[in-house]
Amino acid sequence: MVATAALMVTLAGRQVCAQEADPNPGALTMTGNVDFLNRYMFRGIRQNSTGVVIWPSFDLGIAAFSGTGGLKSTTINVGTWNSLHTGDTGQEGPSGKLWYESDFYATLGLGFGGGVSLGTTYTAYTSPNNGFTTVKEIMFKLGVDDSGKLGKAAVKPYVIYAFEIDTAPGTGQADGGANAGKYLELGVSPGYSHSKFSLAVPIKVGLSAGDYYELAGTDHKFGYLSIAGIVTVPLGGTTNLGAWNVHFGGEYQQLGDTTKSFNGGEGSQFIGSVGVGFSY
Amino acid sequence: MGGSARTWRVAAMVCATGLLLNGPVAAQTSGDPNPGAITLTGSMDVSNAYLFRGIPQDDTGLILWPAADLGLMLKSGSGTVRSITVNVGMWNSLHTGITGADGPNGKLWYESDFWTSVGVGLPGHVNVSATYTAYTSPNGAFPSVKEVSLRASSGVRGTNAYALVAFELEGQADGGAVEGRYLELGAAPSLGLGGLTVAVPVKVGLSLDGYYEGLRGDERFGFFSVGGSVTVPLSNERSRFGRWNVHGGADYVRLGDSNALRLGENTKVIISGGLGLSY
Repeated sequence: MVATAALMVTLAGRQVCAQEADPNPGALTMTGNVDFLNRYMFRGIRQNSTGVVIWPSFDLGIAAFSGTGGLKSTTINVGTWNSLHTGDTGQEGPSGKLWYESDFYATLGLGFGGGVSLGTTYTAYTSPNNGFTTVKEIMFKLGVDDSGKLGKAAVKPYVIYAFEIDTAPGTGQADGGANAGKYLELGVSPGYSHSKFSLAVPIKVGLSAGDYYELAGTDHKFGYLSIAGIVTVPLGGTTNLGAWNVHFGGEYQQLGDTTKSFNGGEGSQFIGSVGVGFSY
Repeated sequence: MGGSARTWRVAAMVCATGLLLNGPVAAQTSGDPNPGAITLTGSMDVSNAYLFRGIPQDDTGLILWPAADLGLMLKSGSGTVRSITVNVGMWNSLHTGITGADGPNGKLWYESDFWTSVGVGLPGHVNVSATYTAYTSPNGAFPSVKEVSLRASSGVRGTNAYALVAFELEGQADGGAVEGRYLELGAAPSLGLGGLTVAVPVKVGLSLDGYYEGLRGDERFGFFSVGGSVTVPLSNERSRFGRWNVHGGADYVRLGDSNALRLGENTKVIISGGLGLSY
């Protein structure tokens, strides 16, 4: 991790003298991350209990339209997100395979006036090591970037509604339950930016809007409450190789009845993370 | 197990193409849309059969090959070392046939390969590279194969001749008794014809040791293939969305004994086509 960060600093520093202009003025944007964590909780549902979790991810964003009317922008994103586990659900698990999860998603994003945005995402959550059956989901996210009005006091509220498709009892569901789930998430993401770092404090609550947190035939509304702090430190500014950063954070989750049961009876969970990211 | 399949395929994201290239934002930038040091290539191809270095994988149903590669140019200039590049990428094979959706586990995703590569450009259009590849099977059709390969190529006179040597570190493409060593020699001469690019890839795959293990032990000759491909650009070099293309082609493959035994015939014609992106 330290070695990777040092390499990035070196690369970024070497290139910054060569070119200070925007290295990528076109319509395609690439972002990527590699993060390391002690625990993976998917919407409050525990995915591992031992070992290290590694999250490599990549996203390609296409700025398909921008204008000055009611519709300000249209974007398309496609990406892959992966979870590699060294512990009980990965390398040390029944399959002996590291690659626990691989997700593919495609998003159509619409930007409106006042910082309002609406994203529609299709996601296929797959498990290369057969840790779970494939979950297919459609998600809507409505968000408001209120930083234009509130400046540093912006909280950037959002609401997510997602529903699982193509399910069967015990199959194709995040909770492994009997019925396809519907999920509701409410959140805010206030933050603070400094020239040398930025801090985000996302707070969110995950709720079942129908059969999302099933336990012994009963759906429990409250899934989890999450409070996190994430510090992002840029590595050398924007260069020919894009903008790189190192980031680290901590997250506390208070769990509901179903998620507590999935967490071995523990009603809360702390998650620590550190990683490297880039945007180009 | 798809290294050979990605040699001339550069493409991606079918659904986005029409909107991007025909919509109002197909406007061109005044210059290079991506003058920086990171390059993205992607592809989405469809084929009737998949042979990995001559070793049959599937020829039932439809085969889809989505792939993406990210290249970082760490150095470019003059001198003995003209360039240094690092690439990371992913290549996938999705099968609707008997090794995929119609197979025992009913899962489409037959193969997912991850690679990372370091390449050095030398004078005379010579490039040498070292690549680590992990060939994995998300649907459990084969155990993971991990490999290191070295490749030298020359672009002189448009022949794109190359030699590749690969060493299996763990797992085996042929499912044999020992990890194999592989040699591939090839060329892909190409020609521009009225905006199209026509290429004629030719290659031969040989076992240096234990790569094509059959009933009579290791066999030297794995396969020979000759093909033809046509690439049609869909956008010009200054498009804000990168250079898109549609391409198609066919390969005639002549197999060695062990591969022919697996396939049940000693020749195969592979037809493929798809979309490509370079940005």
